[in-house]
Amino acid sequence: MSRLAAAIATSRFGLGARPGEISDAAGDPRGWLEAQIRPGAAVVSGEGLLSTQEVFAARIADASMAGPREAGEPDEEARRAIQQRIQREAREGLQKEVEARTRHAASTPASFAERWLRFWANHFTVAARNAQMIGLVGPYEREAIRPHVFGRFSGLLGNAVFHPGMLVFLDAARSIGPSTIPAQRRDAGLNENLAREILELHTLGVGSGYTQEDIVEFAKALTGWTVSGPQTARLAAAGRGGRAPELANEPGRVLFVAPLHEPGARTVLGKVHGGEGKLQAASILDVLAVHPATARLIATKLARHFVADVPPESAIAKLEASFLSSGGDLAVLARAVIHLDEAWQPEQQKFKTPEELLVSAARAAGAQAAFGGAQRQVYASLAQAPFSAPSPAGWADDTAAWSGADAVKKRLEWANAVSRRMVRGLSPTDFLDQALGEMAGQRTRQAVARAESAEQGFTLALMSPEFQRR
Amino acid sequence: MTMLNRRSLLLTGCAATLVSVAPGARADTGGAQGRKLVIIILRGAMDGLAALPKIDDADIRGHRAALVDPGAIKLSDGFALHSAMPGLAAMYSANEAAFVPAIAGPYRERSHFAAQDLLECGEISQVSADGWLNRAMLKAPGVYAAVSIGPSQPLILRGAPVSATSWSPPVLPEASEDTLQRLLDLYEHDMVLKTSLSAAVGADMIAGSMKADGMGGRGGPAQYVPQLEAAGKFLAQPQGPQIAVVSLEGWDTHIGQNQALQQRFAALDNGIAAMKTQLGDIWKKTAVMAISEFGRTVRINGGGGTDHGTGGLAILAGGAIKGGRMLGDWPGLKSSALFEDRDLRPAVDARSVFKGLLRDQLGWASADLDTAIFRDSVAAKAMGGLV
Repeated sequence: MSRLAAAIATSRFGLGARPGEISDAAGDPRGWLEAQIRPGAAVVSGEGLLSTQEVFAARIADASMAGPREAGEPDEEARRAIQQRIQREAREGLQKEVEARTRHAASTPASFAERWLRFWANHFTVAARNAQMIGLVGPYEREAIRPHVFGRFSGLLGNAVFHPGMLVFLDAARSIGPSTIPAQRRDAGLNENLAREILELHTLGVGSGYTQEDIVEFAKALTGWTVSGPQTARLAAAGRGGRAPELANEPGRVLFVAPLHEPGARTVLGKVHGGEGKLQAASILDVLAVHPATARLIATKLARHFVADVPPESAIAKLEASFLSSGGDLAVLARAVIHLDEAWQPEQQKFKTPEELLVSAARAAGAQAAFGGAQRQVYASLAQAPFSAPSPAGWADDTAAWSGADAVKKRLEWANAVSRRMVRGLSPTDFLDQALGEMAGQRTRQAVARAESAEQGFTLALMSPEFQRR
Repeated sequence: MTMLNRRSLLLTGCAATLVSVAPGARADTGGAQGRKLVIIILRGAMDGLAALPKIDDADIRGHRAALVDPGAIKLSDGFALHSAMPGLAAMYSANEAAFVPAIAGPYRERSHFAAQDLLECGEISQVSADGWLNRAMLKAPGVYAAVSIGPSQPLILRGAPVSATSWSPPVLPEASEDTLQRLLDLYEHDMVLKTSLSAAVGADMIAGSMKADGMGGRGGPAQYVPQLEAAGKFLAQPQGPQIAVVSLEGWDTHIGQNQALQQRFAALDNGIAAMKTQLGDIWKKTAVMAISEFGRTVRINGGGGTDHGTGGLAILAGGAIKGGRMLGDWPGLKSSALFEDRDLRPAVDARSVFKGLLRDQLGWASADLDTAIFRDSVAAKAMGGLV
């Protein structure tokens, strides 16, 4: 029983077993998982990758070269070359981010912590949907999400919201109090996007009772929160009739610019948030972070992720109670997830997303075998390029989203290519054992053992119902 | 003759990679003198008794009447060739083809993986990281080049750097028809995957990438002809390689094997003919050997097929082959003569034939044959007189 539990611990809670890992976990599968819960367990160094401020600094340097032409500036052709270089560097930067993320996921012994990180990164999705966001997605995850996934939910929420990645992605960096002078002079105004998505996706959930008026009020409370840089300096200066050069210093910092903030007290969910404008948004977030509707939403999403697409009410209720009684302590919540009996059922109910499939294959067989060439393209061929979720709601977490005919065909083509890159000397049956342990059923064991070639055996193992699920 | 080089193959959209580490190496400076060797690996274990039934063996019908082709073409010594291979039968009559009806490597278990690996690395029990053909090329008297036709570099050519190119038809690496069938079986109780994969297969058939009869396409028999034809093109190039290795997948016929083998035999026969056409005059100096990792059970199983066995068939063809002969003894099909009361007992060690071809076809008469190339194989003497 504990060998099966160890296989479940590595595959369903972790990101898939590395060779020998099922044995490591077999002594005490739950303890093996719990040991991964500690502050900083999901932190990575980011060595060789850019920070948010480095991204902004580079962008401003580029903008001064490729910006509007003035006397003595480079001609059109040179500008185009610069823009092409910028785009190329952005793509290469993203590829490096994807590879670093994959490398960590494929090699970390704390793969439950990494799954936990990925759950929260998806919950607070930002996506590389345009040139500006491409550079920010990696730093956002490293700086705003990773350090906080075993702290309190309120801390994670605040760090996610008040990061340039989120402020830019959901347009808050350009949202201005409608009655402020800059709004009137620059024909700019309120953008509700971030406020709406925080309420709908990150905290209370759709249909939980908040109104359009709550959204507008929350959006007004968020005005003034933006990112330092020349644009912000110009915008704020429009309200002063002068210059605000300090707002351009150290570009890429999140700051509160009072002249852009909508004056007055805000009423959200019936509660008045008055006082200093700078404190209003945080005050509202604090209410949202411990709200029962938030507890319900998070509990439901976690139960869906660890138990089943349609999770049993019993599991949701346990997680909800843990969230509420701990005040949203995510370390406590992670332990509650580990101790959900519903999540340890032998039946595999969760179909792996493409990313989960690829990472689990990389853990079992090595990244070279799992990917072969450029990783981002391999992810994209299975329709899940990292940092590129189709909407602020993040990636789908249910079987139907990932198991269509063409999706399964693409998976088969991928598996077939992987099987030809597998190391000689490892038999498909040994691979099956290492990767799935006792999760592999008799039917799959037989099919793999009877394959007509090692390549076919690997293909069957990778495409087996057990490896396609977790 | 077709002027075809690696570049033109690339330009037609085919994948080719060069694994050469002998810069500026010019092929064919050794003892081969224009002679060529083609090794065809029939992966999955071909049923040799279906390909070349010994129709005068009193026991064959008792074991497998339903698997003996009634139209088999009589050759000699009581053997007949399956009627789907008239080309090879004609070569046999023209003394350009020979058969080894009961052959196996030293391995006596029945795992495809282990058997193929051992066949290719030339070892007795422990799989090594390098193949015997790779080791042979390193020891060869001169610089040789090899091409492998198939989706990945086969173990037989892997190892220390030698001049070896690989090529596979452009549709690869799609899963074979056989793999698809096995997956559908595996998904018997999995409605999600079964439904999606069935739908995907259906969509493919509509798109025309797979033949509607359920065979062909995807690395199965439909690839045999293009693969063997490509081998011929490579070998026929000026300064082309001397050696080609071709992997043909899909011989594991546990169920309904008559229909499956009909198509595979025909494709193999057509493929060898296509290779001969590509080789032109070079055919006269070419020796082809086709072999599986092992044979199949003598008795028919419950599904109209056969299971993993031991003794199998090797096919030799080419203008260089001294053909029109059956090589090695026939162990007989009496139950008492069978290996473990189920398989054809091997009469010839596959390494003997490999060694004979290396020595007499390529001119590599080296003491290394019994030691470094096929370790501990003194007892498996090189078979003489093949060419």
